[in-house]
Amino acid sequence: MKILVCISCVPDTTSKIAIDPSTSQISSQGLTFIVGPYDDYALSRAIELKESNGAEVIVLHVGGSESEALIRKCLALGADSAVRVDGNPTTSAQIANAIVSYVKQNPMDLILMGKESIDYNSGIVHGLVAGALGYTHFNPVMHLDVAGDGLKLEVEMDGGKMEVSCPLPAVLGCQEPIAEWKIPSMRGIMTARTKEILVLPLESTGQFQIVKAEIAETARKNKMIKAEDAEQLIDLLRTETNVL
Amino acid sequence: MKKVAIIAQTKEGQLSETSIQLLSFISSFSPESILLLAVGEVKFSAVPSSKSVEVITLSEGLWADSPSIEPLSKILDGFTVFGIKSIQVDNLLSLLAASSSQEMISGVQQLTYTAGKFTISKSIFSGKASLTVTSESASYFSLNRNFDFSGNAAYGDQSISSVSALSVASGSNASILALKPITGSIPLPDAALVVGAGRGLKDPSNWTIVEDLAKALGAATACSKPVSDLNWRPHHEHVGQTGVKISPNLYIACGISGAIQHLAGVNGSRIIVVINTDAEAPFFKHADYGIIGDVNDILPRLTKKLQSH
Repeated sequence: MKILVCISCVPDTTSKIAIDPSTSQISSQGLTFIVGPYDDYALSRAIELKESNGAEVIVLHVGGSESEALIRKCLALGADSAVRVDGNPTTSAQIANAIVSYVKQNPMDLILMGKESIDYNSGIVHGLVAGALGYTHFNPVMHLDVAGDGLKLEVEMDGGKMEVSCPLPAVLGCQEPIAEWKIPSMRGIMTARTKEILVLPLESTGQFQIVKAEIAETARKNKMIKAEDAEQLIDLLRTETNVL
Repeated sequence: MKKVAIIAQTKEGQLSETSIQLLSFISSFSPESILLLAVGEVKFSAVPSSKSVEVITLSEGLWADSPSIEPLSKILDGFTVFGIKSIQVDNLLSLLAASSSQEMISGVQQLTYTAGKFTISKSIFSGKASLTVTSESASYFSLNRNFDFSGNAAYGDQSISSVSALSVASGSNASILALKPITGSIPLPDAALVVGAGRGLKDPSNWTIVEDLAKALGAATACSKPVSDLNWRPHHEHVGQTGVKISPNLYIACGISGAIQHLAGVNGSRIIVVINTDAEAPFFKHADYGIIGDVNDILPRLTKKLQSH
């Protein structure tokens, strides 16, 4: 089985986001980047499948050369090779198109990625890729097992879960508890150094224009109520804020 | 605006409140025509709108691949399509958008349309920031659940011009093996009121005080990641960066310190109440109301107060 795992490289979850006033865009100054946590789950499951059933695992990232250290980490975890589509994508469509062009040249059995990237939160790249390729699509997938020629999945839906039988090829958005995050072994780190990262150009697509980014400030009341007067809370929620 | 299609949810045969608001909002753009794609049973014969509305009901089933979405994709050729963000809506819209080479924008927080151009504000970084984009060509949009419809004009009822049903025609290649709906509790993503609890509860057996308060309020229950990792509570109750993101009118956080990953899931709440014994808990900085105290003491008193009147 050939598995493509698409990863995002995103600011660490604890990052304080700031705007660069000269560009009105999110400033990357002082941010630590990580592999998107949901993508990390997807990669972990792909490596588990490689170990249990045998598979070739290829990691794909759309982004600049600054992401190569994170791509190496994915190789150290057990991915066989990597592809970086070089560029600075600004929309889900650009990322999806880059994945689609690669897969059209290199057909896959299974394409895994996180259910969303934790920076732009669009959560649609997997759907866009599946729609463009005509592959079967499920999201967010919580359990994934190989069953016969296809897969057996547990998928979250609005108001519950379902178990589905999913034929291949498929594109899946993943979330916990699909696998446990893994830590690279020393041997993995050593072998990753010689694994290939293929660099491909990003074709420019996408029609919408980004105007500006802004920090969203939600003003909170920060009103403290004494523990002995806790019941007052109910009155305040009824009269001051009308939420009850 | 040209032809518009809206994915609408129905409940017991009636349009959901958010679907009505979305329909009014779209009406204000005076589209050429309006098509309602109804998920669920349709028992209504008129809807508040600027013009007569055509209704197509979508059958239950998996809309998960090309064979299943193709008939719908054909119908939607030339339409601008709107829905309210949910797992199902985002999955369906992204498949439809890509299969017809259209652009989609999800997580829309504000939207205006003037002179053939959309200006959209989209929430990013789990609500910590927003991004303004303009587009003349995007034709698939999913609006956040807490989209502000308060500026909507009121429209009179218009009768429905026609109702037809669309089934998953040739069917999906995938199949459902089992459905496991959550029963007996209020679904978290839709809840207007939410009571969440964390490790401060000390033991899963202490959750009765949380459930009692939730019941008295008519609220859904939620939990922090450590609590679902410890299997104290089911995974679907986990609220935060890697769990469910909620935007209720009221979120009461009990014994949750307020790690940034948890805040990422609850930032969208209108009013936040924090109850914690630790006065230094970072969550207090993000609270509208804070009570420094023991949840075992405070929660039953709040429940009692709610039950008394």
